[in-house]
Amino acid sequence: MVRDSVMRERAETLLRSVPGRFGSVLHSERVAARLGMWLGISFTVAFATGLFSHFMQHPPGRLSWPSRPVGLYRVTQGLHVIGGLATIPLLFAKLWTVYPKLWQWPPFRSLSHAVERGLVLVLVGASLFQLITGLLNISYVYLWPFSFPVAHYWTAYLLYGALIIHVVNEWAKIRRHLWTREQVDPRETVTARRRFLGTVAAASGLTVLFTVGETYAPLSRLALLAPRDPHVGPQGLPVNKSAAAAGVTTVIHDPGYRLTVTGAVRTPLSLTYDDLLRLPQHTVRLPIACVEGWSAEAEWSGIRLRDLAALAGIAPDAILTVESLERGGGYRSSEVRPPHWNDPLTLLALRIGGAPLAPDHGFPVRLIAPNRPGVLQTKWVTKVVAA
Amino acid sequence: MNARRLLRCVNARRLLRCVNAPGLLRCVNAPGLLGYGIGGGLIITGLAGLLVDARHSDPLGWALWFGGLVVAHDGVLVPLVLLVGVAVGRLRTPSWVRAGLIVAAVLSFVALPMVTGLGRRADNPSLLPLDYGRNLLVVLGLVALVTAVAAIATRLRRRRG
Repeated sequence: MVRDSVMRERAETLLRSVPGRFGSVLHSERVAARLGMWLGISFTVAFATGLFSHFMQHPPGRLSWPSRPVGLYRVTQGLHVIGGLATIPLLFAKLWTVYPKLWQWPPFRSLSHAVERGLVLVLVGASLFQLITGLLNISYVYLWPFSFPVAHYWTAYLLYGALIIHVVNEWAKIRRHLWTREQVDPRETVTARRRFLGTVAAASGLTVLFTVGETYAPLSRLALLAPRDPHVGPQGLPVNKSAAAAGVTTVIHDPGYRLTVTGAVRTPLSLTYDDLLRLPQHTVRLPIACVEGWSAEAEWSGIRLRDLAALAGIAPDAILTVESLERGGGYRSSEVRPPHWNDPLTLLALRIGGAPLAPDHGFPVRLIAPNRPGVLQTKWVTKVVAA
Repeated sequence: MNARRLLRCVNARRLLRCVNAPGLLRCVNAPGLLGYGIGGGLIITGLAGLLVDARHSDPLGWALWFGGLVVAHDGVLVPLVLLVGVAVGRLRTPSWVRAGLIVAAVLSFVALPMVTGLGRRADNPSLLPLDYGRNLLVVLGLVALVTAVAAIATRLRRRRG
């Protein structure tokens, strides 16, 4: 019995001493506060741009978003993905800095302390989940049983909720360390801290430098570690879903192909590919901007969607649904709301850079519109339904 | 009970509620309570969404990934980094080399899924179109070069100064 209690006491002393054994001066509140501020900013940007992208794809009710500025979605989604990559070094640095606190003993001093630590677990888990599965997702490695967009969307609420609570709990420390000049620390500590924060910032910056070219063309030659090159693909343009993956390789070359315009129309239309070529053609330069963060600009030619709507006698406030030859898949059709289909830049495109669309780019006809996620730029279009 | 801390809260006139638990005294003001409300609301929204949309979110698979990543990070990755840190400390590595190692490790981590090429698909050569193994080596070479130049320059300057 006596030996038992001695052992327990020794174990207790050992456990209590664990956090103190981390010798680096960088395991400090001041470093954690600075990294925390950077993380707070980047997670706020990611949450805002992520919600923007979500509601662009799933607009609530009859709300619609504007079709201009043309490149808005390209910028917000680039910020979301490239900014997310830049956050990875910040998160690792922050978790390393506060790691000794994981081993605090006793683990829970009170009920409120237990709740606080539970919420920190939610914050850490959700942060790791969003960044690591996000990185794997843009690398096309899908090792999970869940739908990535659904899991990513709901986990974002967990993350941001736990982040707000964490900021409230740590507010006194944030004020103390970010609003006051460093005077008390010895010079070596200040130097070590600056060096460490500088290194983390450099890691973050270099991650951006070697990936951002997948959406910002002037830096495309530096995009050594990006999952896409905006110049590589059929007709010099990347592809997300190929004709083979969509199962449309034969049906798109069927001579019986027709583009039909139906629903709330005065004159239903049924047009062959040659009919479409005889309609007035327009050429626009528009980016295709993917939810995965890459984007590429191309010169598209074809017929304006609003010209086709006028031909069929569709009311200007109608909602159009563009349907693909693809049989299944989450993106076989997409809704085009009035601001988009009335925009003269919105085309049913037949050509890229003067040549007929490659099968992977949606031959015979695809939708291309400004300020719109790539998954909604429906390919292999065969039907336009007005409602 | 820590009377002085409680008094400070009262003096600040921002006090709505003080939680006094053993070893923990925290004063929560009105913006703080609002933060708890919004934060708690967001967390509940997220959990509810994951459960309601269970067909797509696969809560069990989600929980395994969520917990698995925490365990892999806290139980494997950080201990490894700490071991390397101890070794680097023992070797009295110059600070520039430490910085270079951190940057190289982070860039390798970000590039890893692409280097493995697990996401490649035969029908779509525009996915992962680059030679990522070679590119990572180029990037690491650049990092090593800059690190070496900086370390040598620092040493020379110190010798002269």
